[in-house]
Amino acid sequence: MVDLIDLVATFATFYGIYAILAISLNLEYGYAGQPNFGQVLFYGIGAFVAAIAAANLLPLFARLPIGNICNVHTSFPVRLAIGSNDPGIAIPVWIIGLVLAMIAGGILGLFLSYPAIRVKEEWYLSMILLVAAEAFVTIFQNTPQLACGIFGLDGIQNPFYWVSNTYSNSSFASTELGFDLPGIIYAAIIMAFAGICYLVAQKLANSPYGRLLKSVRDDKVAAESLGKDVAKVRRQIMIIGSIMAGLAGGLYVFYIGVAVTDDYVPAVTFTIWVMMILGGYANNKGVLAGAAALTLLQRGSVEVSLILQASFPGFSSNVLIYLEYVAEAVILILLLMYRPKGLIPETRIETKAYQLFDFRKRDTPDPSSKQETQETTDVSDSKGKSASSNIDENVAR
Amino acid sequence: MVQSEYILNLENISKAFGPIRAVDGVSLSVRRGSIAGLIGPNGSGKSTLFNVISGTEGKFSGSVVFDGKRINGMPSHKIFALGLGRTFQTPRLFTGMTVLENVMLAGKRQEGENPLIAPFPERWESGEEDLARRAQEQMKALEISQLYEKNSSEISGGQMKLLQLANVLIGDPKMLLLDEPTAGVAPRLAQDIFASIEKHCRETGTTFFIIEHRLQVLFKHVDHVFVMHQGRIISEGKPDEIVKNQEVIDAYLGE
Repeated sequence: MVDLIDLVATFATFYGIYAILAISLNLEYGYAGQPNFGQVLFYGIGAFVAAIAAANLLPLFARLPIGNICNVHTSFPVRLAIGSNDPGIAIPVWIIGLVLAMIAGGILGLFLSYPAIRVKEEWYLSMILLVAAEAFVTIFQNTPQLACGIFGLDGIQNPFYWVSNTYSNSSFASTELGFDLPGIIYAAIIMAFAGICYLVAQKLANSPYGRLLKSVRDDKVAAESLGKDVAKVRRQIMIIGSIMAGLAGGLYVFYIGVAVTDDYVPAVTFTIWVMMILGGYANNKGVLAGAAALTLLQRGSVEVSLILQASFPGFSSNVLIYLEYVAEAVILILLLMYRPKGLIPETRIETKAYQLFDFRKRDTPDPSSKQETQETTDVSDSKGKSASSNIDENVAR
Repeated sequence: MVQSEYILNLENISKAFGPIRAVDGVSLSVRRGSIAGLIGPNGSGKSTLFNVISGTEGKFSGSVVFDGKRINGMPSHKIFALGLGRTFQTPRLFTGMTVLENVMLAGKRQEGENPLIAPFPERWESGEEDLARRAQEQMKALEISQLYEKNSSEISGGQMKLLQLANVLIGDPKMLLLDEPTAGVAPRLAQDIFASIEKHCRETGTTFFIIEHRLQVLFKHVDHVFVMHQGRIISEGKPDEIVKNQEVIDAYLGE
């Protein structure tokens, strides 16, 4: 029972983070047609910025010397002690970390949008972002001054860790709780953030802004000729998507406890892409479904390999992790062959505008609308003849 | 402000693609509130000239003055905002959107196009309803209103032409450049399209400048015709003068 609760909490945590990432990618690619192959960059920068902020601010707020944030023997225990005992510091630091993660994601999105928007073909943009994400990993790995290099910045604690201390020492629960209460609280909070991101994405999508995004996706030249500042829209949506990805990174680093470049490799980007394609691009409900499916696959393979490892000592946990990537690829290929629009395909932009038309449709015995349909039949009838009559016209001349 | 008689003035426009001078020193003026035609053989530079005027062609030489403002080098979205709209030879529609969404896109003053306002429908919903009503009128006038929830890639070629016209008309342009509005359209529908263009022109005072190969129907509706050949304007005048012009007959009309 207790195991199951923890399992659900772990799943919810990963699901919430992947859902935010998939929603942000869907805004950028599904709605606005910007193929962001460097989504992990904005996720990673959020994580590192939040981790660096936490490592510096925790001792600062506790009026302790900051020292070298990478030193496992001095600064590490200090961070853990503050985080486990002082909610008055842990929670504000966490909130500041998240805000900074979002700002960092947004600013990076703004910077990268300049070279990205200059290229005419959006697939060049995808390459620019893919390379930028790789450069990010290399820079953070080889510059220990930033965030401790390849070892990563460790000791970033769940901001609700103090809860278990409080309750295990109180009369309410005199013994250890037995399950990870801080983890459950944090999972719920991540799910709440995912819900907010979903609502924001839905509101943006079902508005004139959603129309604007789709027009930029479908035909930039035509959108521009109809008075739409395409470059501005592309920049805006990259900033919005990057803010969300930065938030996901900030949330993740406080869960996993360490900001290390191994977590922000291109494979993450591709997993998010599969989620979006599986669920159905330009459909926010769809990407939630896609994120759920892929999170189940991913966490499932981790859990199963843990069980197998316990029963068979010789079993390597890597096997299933690799098989999971194979499964992702198979899903992607099958989808593109049999269901290219995803599980839940794109729908129309639901604003009040349709009420005016849907209302007319429901009035069945409407003579005028009947006439209209007849006329269009005429049009399509005569269309077949158009080619031959064009020739006639030319011959006549 | 006294409006000048001509809404569009082109002076010495040239545009070269490598060694080919697609447009070669074109100067012309289009009278406000008129319907002007631009005809000429294939490859005579008509579409390039339209691209130059609407700002989609990049660098060129000469000057384009629209409604008293020099619009050379302006991005095309700004040119549209000034009131100069255009359509394309092959319809460029937003194929992932429904017909209604296509039509509503270019509506002006849409507050909900700001991402900071869009999440709050109460801020833009009344404007949206007005726009939908105008879109409905526009679509009824062009007889495409029953298609409103169809995806714009699912409608017929002729309907696509009409939809493209509706897409640009909703932005209330002062002047419209139409690149072959009836190419690939049945003769009867072609006449309908020109009839609705003329009606729109007379009712709203919108200026039209139209590239067209279907001369019979074009000549019935235009006030003034320009003839282009090898990047130059070789003749201009009223339709009945043009058909008699020997140079035009040699270059384009044939016997």
